[in-house]
Amino acid sequence: MSEHAGDLNINFFRPVGEFMKKDVAMKKLIIAIWFIATYGFLWLLQLVADPTDTVTITLNTGQVIQQVTGKSFLTETQFIGFPFHYWFHAQFCIAMFIGLCYWYCKFIDKLEANRS
Amino acid sequence: MLHKFRAHVSLTILLSLFSTAAFAAVDDLNPTGEFKIFPAILMLGLLVLFVAIGFLAKATTTDDYWAAGRGIGQIGGGMAIASNWMSAASYLGMAGLIYLQGYFGISYVVGWTGGYVLLLVLVAGPIRRYGKYTAPDFIGDRYYSTAARLLSSFIVIIISFVYAVGQYKGIGMMFNWIFGINYEVSVVVGTAVVLAYVLVSGMLGATKNMQVQYVVIVVCLLCPLFFIANKLGYFSIVPQIGYGAALWDIGHAGNGISAAAADPAYYLPFSQKSAYQWFALCITLMLGTAGLPHVIGRFYVVPRVSDARWQVVWGLFFIALVYWTAPAFAAFAKFSNLLGTAGVAISPDAIVVNAAELAGLPEWFAGFIAAGAVSAAFSTVGGLLMTGAAAFSHDIYYRVLNPNASEVTKLRIARIGTIVLGVSIILVALKPPMLIGQIVAVAFALGGNTFFPLFLLGLWWSRTTKEAAIAGMLVGLAVTFGTLFIPKTSILAYYLPATSSCILGVPLVLATMVVVSLLTKEPAQEIKELLYHVHNDAPIPASPAPAPAVPGRGPGVAPEPA
Repeated sequence: MSEHAGDLNINFFRPVGEFMKKDVAMKKLIIAIWFIATYGFLWLLQLVADPTDTVTITLNTGQVIQQVTGKSFLTETQFIGFPFHYWFHAQFCIAMFIGLCYWYCKFIDKLEANRS
Repeated sequence: MLHKFRAHVSLTILLSLFSTAAFAAVDDLNPTGEFKIFPAILMLGLLVLFVAIGFLAKATTTDDYWAAGRGIGQIGGGMAIASNWMSAASYLGMAGLIYLQGYFGISYVVGWTGGYVLLLVLVAGPIRRYGKYTAPDFIGDRYYSTAARLLSSFIVIIISFVYAVGQYKGIGMMFNWIFGINYEVSVVVGTAVVLAYVLVSGMLGATKNMQVQYVVIVVCLLCPLFFIANKLGYFSIVPQIGYGAALWDIGHAGNGISAAAADPAYYLPFSQKSAYQWFALCITLMLGTAGLPHVIGRFYVVPRVSDARWQVVWGLFFIALVYWTAPAFAAFAKFSNLLGTAGVAISPDAIVVNAAELAGLPEWFAGFIAAGAVSAAFSTVGGLLMTGAAAFSHDIYYRVLNPNASEVTKLRIARIGTIVLGVSIILVALKPPMLIGQIVAVAFALGGNTFFPLFLLGLWWSRTTKEAAIAGMLVGLAVTFGTLFIPKTSILAYYLPATSSCILGVPLVLATMVVVSLLTKEPAQEIKELLYHVHNDAPIPASPAPAPAVPGRGPGVAPEPA
């Protein structure tokens, strides 16, 4: 690796070498999808929530408060029986995680095979 | 403003109560246990099987003991990851949480699966290529520091210890329910069985056992659900889809639920908790997953790096089978309850068992579920004992105290370490502290606050120094345990609950490590070269020196970097 002697520093945001560049690009894509699908959807739920639909919660201290329930077209659309948002997080997200892992393994196996 | 502040305060109290319920999985299952014939036969059969597998897969070399001879396949390894992962808390506690909190409980499901994406993409491949057996081994080596090795070993032991206390309690509760013997005797008997097979066979037996235990867990959990869905009149071929309609009916008064009984709070996203609380808990569970030492340890039991990665895919799939199912139990139990099924005392922590009872299924069904729960607890305890004992005997004794120890001595110390850890956990589990569930949750956050940043920067930023590693671990420890002392009524406790401390803890630890790294002397060229190889070259041997994969090579046989 003497040709790299001057640039051995590893930094996720400044990948060195052909292999690491491709690998890191893929990792960034997967992490972006992972984050946006999981938490972007949560943010969306908050964003589209019907502000007039509030719920009264009695806390264990006896205090009663009002809070937006998050009711929206996302929660009132039925999808294979589920309220859509519930299906999205409880079933789809997990399947998506498996899909992302599968996709990455396929990708990296191919990348490693090409290298040698 | 004051009103909003007080709302925060009250929500904090509520959350801390619920988070306690999260891990106290098997409390109140059946305080007055009595002998039950079918569950007892099933349970005894399983115990004999687990010990027999341990004896048949007897460890002969340290390589077997630590890394299962590196001969476990992808699917088998995936099953082992899954059953190592799924404790009594996943099996019983998660369904109970979803029953109580509806959509908020889904945060646990997403968090405990989504972490594997991070684990695979950022940690699994590189750390396997680095070629170290345990988390402290990696940290001691990458951060060229005995202090970092000792500190990380200490953290591993804390995590294993508190996590296992919860599992022992779970085993004790289940034995109490099945056999009617008192709780203390149950803990001792259950622990003796786990210790027996871990001691005899080490990781090889534990891995073989985990595979068998996975099958037991899945069969015991999945089978009753078909009958429950069928009994309640939902799509029962795939009850994991059928429960969606039950969920809808819970909120919209369908299928016999009266309009007065309908409970929209069950499925509406923010009717119980805020979006921040959902996010904070979910991200903490994800980062904790990517930083738990006993999960990392499972990457060393496969022959090739590629297998280590595929193992994650299989592991996640096997975990998903259970995690798609647990919310269904919760929903069916909730549905039955709203329907007004009488005569069953609801215990949220035992909702998986209650769901069968509520649907009017015979009692021996509960026996299956209880057996699955014990298997889940056993498999996790096996992995935890191995990891804790490895930190004690390999990372502390062999690496620091006596580097010239022979293979025989190392194996003996490993066994002594397992016994010491196992017995000391019993002492705590016999009289568990009041908020044991909370302590287990803290152990989870501890993994995320300490190991995750160390792995992340250690693997992906070669400038990270040993001083940064030590500072990072200390800050992580401080944040994690500091959350215990925040007054529960303060606004800070809302933003930084003990169960969700990674949301602020991990950025803080990362920032500390970056600053300290830049202020201290750069790591040696060898470390950078090694990292360069990890990311850019063909799989490299365990150390910079040529080290062919000879069977029987113990951990750390490779020479220490000078």
